[in-house]
Amino acid sequence: MNLRLPTLRAHLVVAARSLVAAAALICSLAHALELSVAIVVYDPAQVSAQGTRVPVSAPGADLMGVADELMREVCRRINARCHIAYVPFAEILPGIESGRFDLGFGEVLRTPDREKRFAFSDLIWRSSSRLVGAPATAREFAARLGQPVRIDTLRDARVAAVAGSQQQDYLERVAERRKLTALAAATPAETIDALRDNRADFALLPIRAGYSLISSEHSVGFEFVGPAVADHGLGDTTHIVLRKQDRKLRLAVNRAIAEIRADGTFQRIMQRHFPVSLD
Amino acid sequence: MAGNAPPRRISASKLFGILAAIFVLIFSAVVALLALDQHQVRATAERLQEETVPEIIRYQRLARNLDQLNHEGERVFSASSPEERQQALFLIMLVASHPSILEHPKAAAIAHDAERFLGETSRLSKSDPTVLKARQPEWMRLSKRIHLLVDDISVQGANLATVDLDHMADTMRTAGLKLLGALFVVGGFILLLFLLLRKYLIRPLQRIDHALSSLDVEAAAPEFPHTRLSEILAVEDATVQLYKAMIGSEAARRELELLANRDGLTGLLNRRHFMLNAATEIARAKRYGHPVAVALGDLDFFKRLNDTYGHGAGDVVLRTFANMLATSVRHSDLVCRYGGEEFAFLFPESTVDQAHVLVERFRQHLAETDIRLADGLLVRITLSIGLADASHVTLETALQHADHALYEAKRLGRNRVIVAPAAE
Repeated sequence: MNLRLPTLRAHLVVAARSLVAAAALICSLAHALELSVAIVVYDPAQVSAQGTRVPVSAPGADLMGVADELMREVCRRINARCHIAYVPFAEILPGIESGRFDLGFGEVLRTPDREKRFAFSDLIWRSSSRLVGAPATAREFAARLGQPVRIDTLRDARVAAVAGSQQQDYLERVAERRKLTALAAATPAETIDALRDNRADFALLPIRAGYSLISSEHSVGFEFVGPAVADHGLGDTTHIVLRKQDRKLRLAVNRAIAEIRADGTFQRIMQRHFPVSLD
Repeated sequence: MAGNAPPRRISASKLFGILAAIFVLIFSAVVALLALDQHQVRATAERLQEETVPEIIRYQRLARNLDQLNHEGERVFSASSPEERQQALFLIMLVASHPSILEHPKAAAIAHDAERFLGETSRLSKSDPTVLKARQPEWMRLSKRIHLLVDDISVQGANLATVDLDHMADTMRTAGLKLLGALFVVGGFILLLFLLLRKYLIRPLQRIDHALSSLDVEAAAPEFPHTRLSEILAVEDATVQLYKAMIGSEAARRELELLANRDGLTGLLNRRHFMLNAATEIARAKRYGHPVAVALGDLDFFKRLNDTYGHGAGDVVLRTFANMLATSVRHSDLVCRYGGEEFAFLFPESTVDQAHVLVERFRQHLAETDIRLADGLLVRITLSIGLADASHVTLETALQHADHALYEAKRLGRNRVIVAPAAE
């Protein structure tokens, strides 16, 4: 009896410890797999819709469809339960920084300044920027400037861009020198609204957003103006953005992206929503 | 010989230690060279994976985007409505704006030309649909330029991998040659090591083994050719020393044997040794049925000689008689000083008659010999002999018979040979 009691007690202690460890592991896993994801919207109506009942013809619906499916696929591959929030671009980076969001998807360009504050996943696709405007406005400015309209030579113009974007940052940097008026809008669709309302002469947008808008019924009468630019911080690679300290999450997301690319899921998602698979 | 200086000695452990160190150095150098190649292959593989493959993918994407541009250009001409044409044009603008095209000067230029031409075509076609047909040939030329550029870019992308793979193949080929060289170096070194081991260790050890296994006092001293290894020299020296020690031991043994078996004054066999050898000879004769005879001889009036001329004279007479016997008996015959002035004989393979001839010769020779004493005096002495057949009796019995015959010879006047009667 004296011999058996300590053995039984030892077994019980080991079993209890194992249970506690397993419970802690399950809790930590469950906690780690709850993710809050921000997806950029292209139209203010999409904020209130929060991913439901967004008509296919709505401005930027195709890009939102791509973002939505890609992020859900990433979440599925990293075994995470993701709560998706549809927000304007300006809320994504501060939301990541404050901890409101764990992952952000919104054609976020990777710049040296942002790299100091955020971590970036592997490449999603590459992007450049291009002016959008009415053909008549473009001809008028070309006559006034004595040359075709180009973003790097444009002067004395009102240019709208999405708030918090690299395009807005660029405009503010050159505004004084080139006598430009930078108009910040919450979403790309609102930059087109500004053109339509004659509050702006041109909108400076990422190419996909620009294409999505001008090819939709929302922006009839507007088209790309001048050549696209990828320098001056207006073009490069776009990524999913994360907090710098979420190293394991970044690696998991990168693995998921690689898998999605390797098995053709990326191409299928793109083809489902977008006419060309530009990555 | 004095001019030949002994070769300088080398320690085997030092020699083979130096050889091992040289081998390690050479092998390390070869391994280092191979490691360098391996590093190059790894670096090329990493570059292929991290730089070249992404670059190839980039080229492929550029080619695909240009193809897309071409495809949408076709759509501008084949569109059934201005809206559809406009959609195609928007896509052309999107593709032409992609960074992969912007950063490639030729692609950017051709995309810009295509966008401008197709935009103009689309705009003009709104008022005059015949423009489409009129501008089709120019689009074909532009489209052909795009196709050629796509081909160039595809080939450039493929060549990127070819360069890296060629470099990797060259490095692997070089590594293969180095490996072959290393094989020869290692093989050569092992062969050299084997030859050196054979010459300086195995052969000397075999010689030493042979010398040790055939070491004999009857054989000549072992001789070894010059060798430089101090350890081998030490063993060879030890072998020679062992041989010398054996020779010394053999000499001592022979000396002791002589002392044990010979009479100190005359040098003849002593009685104990004679009895041992004679018994053996008689046993052998009986076994083979051969004849054998024994005899006992006694110098006549020897005591009187001693009393007259002194014991020194007696010793001279005994030595002289012993020398005479030593030169007269056959090699197979045994002669011993049986005691005082008495001598015993054994004649193997001899009948009594044959032995009688011999002992008679001894007696006669002694009787006619002048013996010069130490003071120059000449004396003569005679010998009485009793002879007996030992072919069918024991040694003791035969000697007893001979002793009786000797007694008879003394009784009949000395200086004669009496043959014992044949045993019943």
